[in-house]
Amino acid sequence: MQDKKTEQRGLLRKRLLAALAAGTLALSAQAQFESPSEGVYKDRVDWGVMMDLSGPASGSQGIWTNGFQAYVRSINEKGGVNGRRINVLAEDSRFNPAQDKINYEKLSTQTPVLAISGMGSSSSQVSLAPTIRGGKIPIVGTYTHTKPLSEPTSPLVYGGFCTYPEMAKAGVGYMTEKLKVKSPKVMVVSIESAGGVEYAQFIADAVKKYGGTSSLVTMKITAADVTPQVLEIIKQKPDFITIYGVGNTAILTMKAMHQYGLKIPAFGISYLMSPQIYAAIGPEAGPNYNVISCFTPGGADQSAGNKEMMAAADKYNHSAMKEDVNYVAGWVVGQMAVQALQLAGPQPTRARLVEAMSKGFTVNSNGLAAPIVMTPTDHAGPSRFRMIGYDYGAKKYVSFGEFADYEKYMK
Amino acid sequence: MFIQVLLSGIALGSIYGLVALGFAVVFKATDVFNFAQGMFVAFGAYFAVTTINLLGLPFPLAVAAIIAASAALGVVIHIVLIQPLSGRPMLSVIMLTIALSIVMRAVIEILYGVQSRTLSTPMPTGIFLVGDVRISQLHLVAAGVSWLCMAAFGAFFKFTSIGLLMRATADGHEAALVSGVNVKVMNRLAWAIGAGLAAIGGLFLGQLQIVSPELEHIGLLALPAVVIGGMQSIPGAIIGGLLVGLIEQLSATYISPKSSDILVYVLLLAILMVRPWGLFGQRELGRV
Amino acid sequence: MTATVLRSGALRAAAPSPWRWLWLALAAAVLLYLPILLTERQIFGFRLSNMMLLNIGLSQVNLMLITMLGALSLNYLTGSAGLISIGHAAFYAVGAMTAAITGSQWGWPFPLVLIAAGLGGALAGLLAGLPSLRVRGLYFVLSTFAVHYLVVFAFMEYQFKFFDVVGVPYKNATLGSWTLSTPMRWYFFLLPLVIFIYWLLRNSLRTREGRAMQAMRDHELAATANGIDVRFLRLKAFAFSSAIAAMGGALYAYYLSNVTSEFFGIQFAIQFIAMIIIGGMGSLPGAVVGAAVWLLLPSIITGLTAQAGDTTGLLRSVLVDHKPQLVQAIFGMLVIVLLIFAPWGIAGMATRLKARLTAWWSRS
Repeated sequence: MQDKKTEQRGLLRKRLLAALAAGTLALSAQAQFESPSEGVYKDRVDWGVMMDLSGPASGSQGIWTNGFQAYVRSINEKGGVNGRRINVLAEDSRFNPAQDKINYEKLSTQTPVLAISGMGSSSSQVSLAPTIRGGKIPIVGTYTHTKPLSEPTSPLVYGGFCTYPEMAKAGVGYMTEKLKVKSPKVMVVSIESAGGVEYAQFIADAVKKYGGTSSLVTMKITAADVTPQVLEIIKQKPDFITIYGVGNTAILTMKAMHQYGLKIPAFGISYLMSPQIYAAIGPEAGPNYNVISCFTPGGADQSAGNKEMMAAADKYNHSAMKEDVNYVAGWVVGQMAVQALQLAGPQPTRARLVEAMSKGFTVNSNGLAAPIVMTPTDHAGPSRFRMIGYDYGAKKYVSFGEFADYEKYMK
Repeated sequence: MFIQVLLSGIALGSIYGLVALGFAVVFKATDVFNFAQGMFVAFGAYFAVTTINLLGLPFPLAVAAIIAASAALGVVIHIVLIQPLSGRPMLSVIMLTIALSIVMRAVIEILYGVQSRTLSTPMPTGIFLVGDVRISQLHLVAAGVSWLCMAAFGAFFKFTSIGLLMRATADGHEAALVSGVNVKVMNRLAWAIGAGLAAIGGLFLGQLQIVSPELEHIGLLALPAVVIGGMQSIPGAIIGGLLVGLIEQLSATYISPKSSDILVYVLLLAILMVRPWGLFGQRELGRV
Repeated sequence: MTATVLRSGALRAAAPSPWRWLWLALAAAVLLYLPILLTERQIFGFRLSNMMLLNIGLSQVNLMLITMLGALSLNYLTGSAGLISIGHAAFYAVGAMTAAITGSQWGWPFPLVLIAAGLGGALAGLLAGLPSLRVRGLYFVLSTFAVHYLVVFAFMEYQFKFFDVVGVPYKNATLGSWTLSTPMRWYFFLLPLVIFIYWLLRNSLRTREGRAMQAMRDHELAATANGIDVRFLRLKAFAFSSAIAAMGGALYAYYLSNVTSEFFGIQFAIQFIAMIIIGGMGSLPGAVVGAAVWLLLPSIITGLTAQAGDTTGLLRSVLVDHKPQLVQAIFGMLVIVLLIFAPWGIAGMATRLKARLTAWWSRS
């Protein structure tokens, strides 16, 4: 009799202890969740960036990284996300595609991260696409867009820079309307590259809607003189031209056109917007040059996001960069990363992050870009544009209209 | 239209010729194939940014400072790097200049950041209209200055005593040493000249486009120029530069932009097969 | 150079000591365990930090092995046959192009593709070596420089014409039914291959022809006077080394599964020369060391600079904001220092050290 009672009491005690233990464990797990093999620790989260930080593309990609790091730093100063600060591990691709394969391995197993942003090299994206798609690490906010990585839409990949088809539509639509031409004749001035050929195709498609024609003329990426290309422009007499390439492409083309007395309006792709480019083109040729962009450079308008970014840039010694579209792009992808991380909850893992993002989310950049809508089937990235120009007198950017005004060109 | 392209080819070619001349002087004097010549061009452009844009010096003073600084850099590099390696196999020296260009590029990126810079000089940016042909004033100035430099150095080498001594030293080191010529000083002078000429080229290129470490690649085009013209020949380097500039512009206009690089290298290969010492060089005799 | 030849001859005469077998067994054990170590990042359950493994991963080791083929073949060409070439990136491109034609377009199985790439490289090498019949030394280097640009242009045209703008795709790296789908599988495929090529090159240098080649390198006129057909030998050396490089190029293409013409730029070409100089010209083990140093050192330096931690001011600006540039600068300076103070490369230094140690040991 006695034994049974003691037995029962013992069992009850055991059960109580077990319940107590489970409760404590649950509480502590909540407060101190960590998953080091995925870069999540008690007080910080490791987040990876893969970009060209040295070499020819570092002029834009290095600045993008600075923008990203600046936004993350501003969030860390406010306490981070769910009590964790974000630690950015930026790996240099060194303009060497094989290096990205090494960097991806580093960020997945050697110094594991929760997610990766950036991925500036298109060849690396194509090369790593099978590995990324079959892996577990989400890519939040790519700097460039390639088919193998983004088509078909993967729950792991989210675009972070202006999408080309919409860029072409918005640019062609705006110019056609502004110049009041019936069937626009457009020329694409591009560097000899894969992306240039693709962009020219998007322009051709956009122009076709208005019953116009387009053609392509190319130059070397390290060209020092573009007389042959300008002579071609003179021969064809387009209504307006669009420029694809690097800063030099835009500068040489605009300066040469000015030299030949051509006043043909031109618009560059979103990447080609920085104070250096405008300064090099000069106040005589500059007014003919605008940029179709999904991001708003510092000072182009007075939105809350713009002011916040300018303040942070000045604080962190990035004042020279805040008018560079790459800086803004990095900052906005920083916003994307932080908002995605918030969606993942207080116990983030790679799987939870992917699940949260793939349900669909909208990135609010406070006015720096139109709301970036990610749906379960569309991860393309910022796809709303407006034309930005430069006022040499006031020494600041001018934005022509709001993002919503360009909606009509998107059909 | 043809004249337009021709003129732009001559303008570009003059700048190549300037860089090629610097290259040839260094090669003739010290037997070093300086792969870092392209970086000297970039350094010249960046010195220009510092003196003109950052320090705001008056233009003539800035130009003098640029040339002096580049020349000093050339001398320092010779003393620290080239001299210790004299007598080593050629491949080692080439590799050294390549490593040097890597270090120089990294230093530029650390000092000036990775963003490209604009150069705003008081040089004219307008146009002359001669009939149907538009001549950029900047191109004209660049070509003019290049020709002036090349003529000045031509005269220097031919008529002044130092110039003669340099040529003598380049032709035979032992003989020069025996004659009491300070070979070290001659070599340093050669490197100073090579770097200085590259810097002037950098100044013009920086004004024509944008200042970035990518200017190095334009300097690399001076290599085929120098070989086509004749590596041991001063006038050869100049002619080679002009030829490369003309081929580039003419082929870009009449064939396709892609073809310009290839044609230059095809010509290079052809010259090497048929007349390896270049158009104006001298046949080298092999000694047992 | 001569010391190495004599020593290897002496080694052949002596019977392999038991020490040698122990070294070989140890080396084999290390090489076999290495990929597991790099993937698991732990040893006997003890988790290793990134820096303990010198910031190196298995992908890096695989890429090093692929590039080592280029270093070995260039070393064979330059150090043993006396021909300097900047064209090795071009032969990698030829290999990649041949692999694209036979593999991606015609659908040949992987092993055949590799052989085809080798043959394509040999043919290209034969053609590229033709200027050597006319010019020597620096002029020949320049001809390889020109060949490089022409080949890369040809690859670009080929890529744009037959394939997508983003690059040439390579799929199905399979040996029979075994697919090379993970870095570990690649490692266990590449390691024996590289060892085999190394053995092949070393033995070819010990043949009569190999010695004739070294004679040609040392003093061409004397070699000709002795009845060696210098021109034929040169072309043969070029073709052989290019075949190996082309095979490396095909492997590179399959490993990355997508290549463009930009992959084979002048930077890629220069790295091979850097490797053999760092390792020591004319020394096959030197090529191995040179490849390892050139490819692994930047990662090690990056890892070390990351350890520098939190600093402020100018140091922060250089260390954090410009870390990649700092790595490049340190790296370039190391190469320069090595070139000035150790002209025979690391292998040369090792030989000298060994000689000194042996002398000291025999004296005491």
